[in-house]
Amino acid sequence: MVKIHIDKKPIDVEEGTTVLKAAETAGISIPHLCYHDAFPPEGSCRMCLVEIEGLPKLELACSTQVRDGMKVFTKSEKVVEARKGVLEFLLAEHPLDCPICDKAGDCKLQDYYDEYGLFESQFRESKEKREKKDKIGKSLIHDEERCILCRRCVRFLREITETQELGVFERGIHSRVNIYDLTPVDNNYSGNLAQICPVGAITDEDFRFKTRSWFLKKGESICPLCSRGCSITIEYHPGFSHFGVPSRVYRIQSRENQEVNGFWICDMGRYGYSYLSENRLDKIVINNKEWNIQPTWEDVSYFINQQLKKLDEGKKTSQTVLILNTWLSNEELFLIHKIFKNDQNLERIFFADRPQAEKDDFLLTAERTPNKKGALEMGFDMKPANPGALSDKTDLLLAFGSFLAEQISAADLKKALEKIETKVLFTSHENELNSLFDIVLPTALIPEKGGSLTNIDGKIQKFSPVFEPPGDSLPEWMMLADLGRKFGINSSFYGEFKTPETIAKEIENEVPFFREQK
Amino acid sequence: MSPEFSGKVRKEIDRIIARYPQKEAAILPLLHLTQQEFGFISPESEKLVAGILGIKPIQVREVVTFYTMLNREPIGKYHIQVCSNLSCSLLGAEKLTDYLKEKLSIEPGQTSEDKKFTLSLVECIGACEQAPCMMINFDYHGNLDKKKIDKILDGLE
Repeated sequence: MVKIHIDKKPIDVEEGTTVLKAAETAGISIPHLCYHDAFPPEGSCRMCLVEIEGLPKLELACSTQVRDGMKVFTKSEKVVEARKGVLEFLLAEHPLDCPICDKAGDCKLQDYYDEYGLFESQFRESKEKREKKDKIGKSLIHDEERCILCRRCVRFLREITETQELGVFERGIHSRVNIYDLTPVDNNYSGNLAQICPVGAITDEDFRFKTRSWFLKKGESICPLCSRGCSITIEYHPGFSHFGVPSRVYRIQSRENQEVNGFWICDMGRYGYSYLSENRLDKIVINNKEWNIQPTWEDVSYFINQQLKKLDEGKKTSQTVLILNTWLSNEELFLIHKIFKNDQNLERIFFADRPQAEKDDFLLTAERTPNKKGALEMGFDMKPANPGALSDKTDLLLAFGSFLAEQISAADLKKALEKIETKVLFTSHENELNSLFDIVLPTALIPEKGGSLTNIDGKIQKFSPVFEPPGDSLPEWMMLADLGRKFGINSSFYGEFKTPETIAKEIENEVPFFREQK
Repeated sequence: MSPEFSGKVRKEIDRIIARYPQKEAAILPLLHLTQQEFGFISPESEKLVAGILGIKPIQVREVVTFYTMLNREPIGKYHIQVCSNLSCSLLGAEKLTDYLKEKLSIEPGQTSEDKKFTLSLVECIGACEQAPCMMINFDYHGNLDKKKIDKILDGLE
């Protein structure tokens, strides 16, 4: 440990720490553009210049390591003057097209200029004209005029993906970032480039010109599209209805989580958000002609309870089939295990999930479902659903999700389902499958409910609702806790479950894996 | 046809690479060698050098475009590089450049039709004591005037 002073504030930091990181631990942020925690210091933007007592010139905070007794000044007159100068040079060729730039609002260059700018440039020369909308990747647009040559994109492709599609060509005023011989940036992590670009040089076609960043609200969530469970930020516009869903999602960004995804997410997770709004189910659908009212959840839960009670004890366990999926949270799977396995002694529990697909050697896993590990640890033996699972002897079928259609052919499914008297489906989307069920209940998706997921490495990650689910959709845990109460076995136990957190506490009490992981 | 180095040059390359702790560091001497062998550095040559050094061609391109003395197009038999810096300009380099342009019927950066001459404007070549001056390939020619230029060019095969 060494003792240093930053802006007269005494700080103890580990030897080898850089001044920039040391200041961060003390809550002092030093402006920087090219430095990114994911890469070694580059020192090309010169924004992080600080004054160090005893040294004749200003030093780079991003690459200077602390020494015992060092006295650093980050806001002295000399430093502020230098920042102004650096910004003046950075803006010498930078267009002032913030009004039409997607980055405006979360652009660091814009922020720093607001804080330290000269506001009246001394440059009288006209700016260089360069390529403004060079398509360099499947969703990436490069604006050479806005580029400040921080090389974050080049370093990302060199050090993280090791694909090296971008390089810096020419030198001096002519330097520019570009692809090699028209070979586009083509890897499953390309979307990160638009996110780490500190200015608007690389923008994302998926987001371009759709909204302004200051209209967006941000919510923390977990990506459910594979079993990695990367931390994400969902940026959405509340009150901007999209396909009938009350909040419109504009983009998904990665969120730092060193234990899971570092700083990055894959393109599949970044761009695959249309499912949050498209084809959403927002009303309870009744396909049974005997019902002539539009029921509420109260009516349906009463009905399910009646159906279950109708089956006598011996038949109940063998003639009720449950089909689950691993998009269900730990809390929901726990409730299902308790209610149907422990209380009702059901034996015929099957899983229907999205099929595995190709993994890559970084974040994306073969398992395209977020909570398989959680289901295993909860004690399910995870038999896959097949036509045999839905035998003639089935009287009541409760199914979750629409992945059944991906595991059993439409013809087989139709044939099997026709023989079952009562079929209830809990699902979030409109699907051809829905018409085969008597009752279809709309459910909430991960960003619309609370709970936790267990990722491929056994890490349990909590998530909270970011926005409201559409229409009458309810989180499954809510419906399950209600069913538990209605079924009448251990009613008071289920009555306790008012939030996912209270369920999570009970999981820790009962399932050793979840206690140990905590 | 993609370029290949002769056996003799390959030996020289191995000797150069052995000088550096990291293979990549040999990129500049290798590019000089490439230019010497093929006269210029084509995209195919970039790939050849990248292959030898175990790096991607894009990294070679970055270096090739950074250094103006590495030619990316074929040049003439004689590369005339006229100094355009201060001392030479004060002593009439601009007029001499115009004379060369007229005499060779090419602009700076161009090569004559018979592929004999390439004309370039360069920064200081470190011979201010004999300004105005120019280099033809690796030879210096100083204290230039029109007559002297005529004589020099006439003497070239």
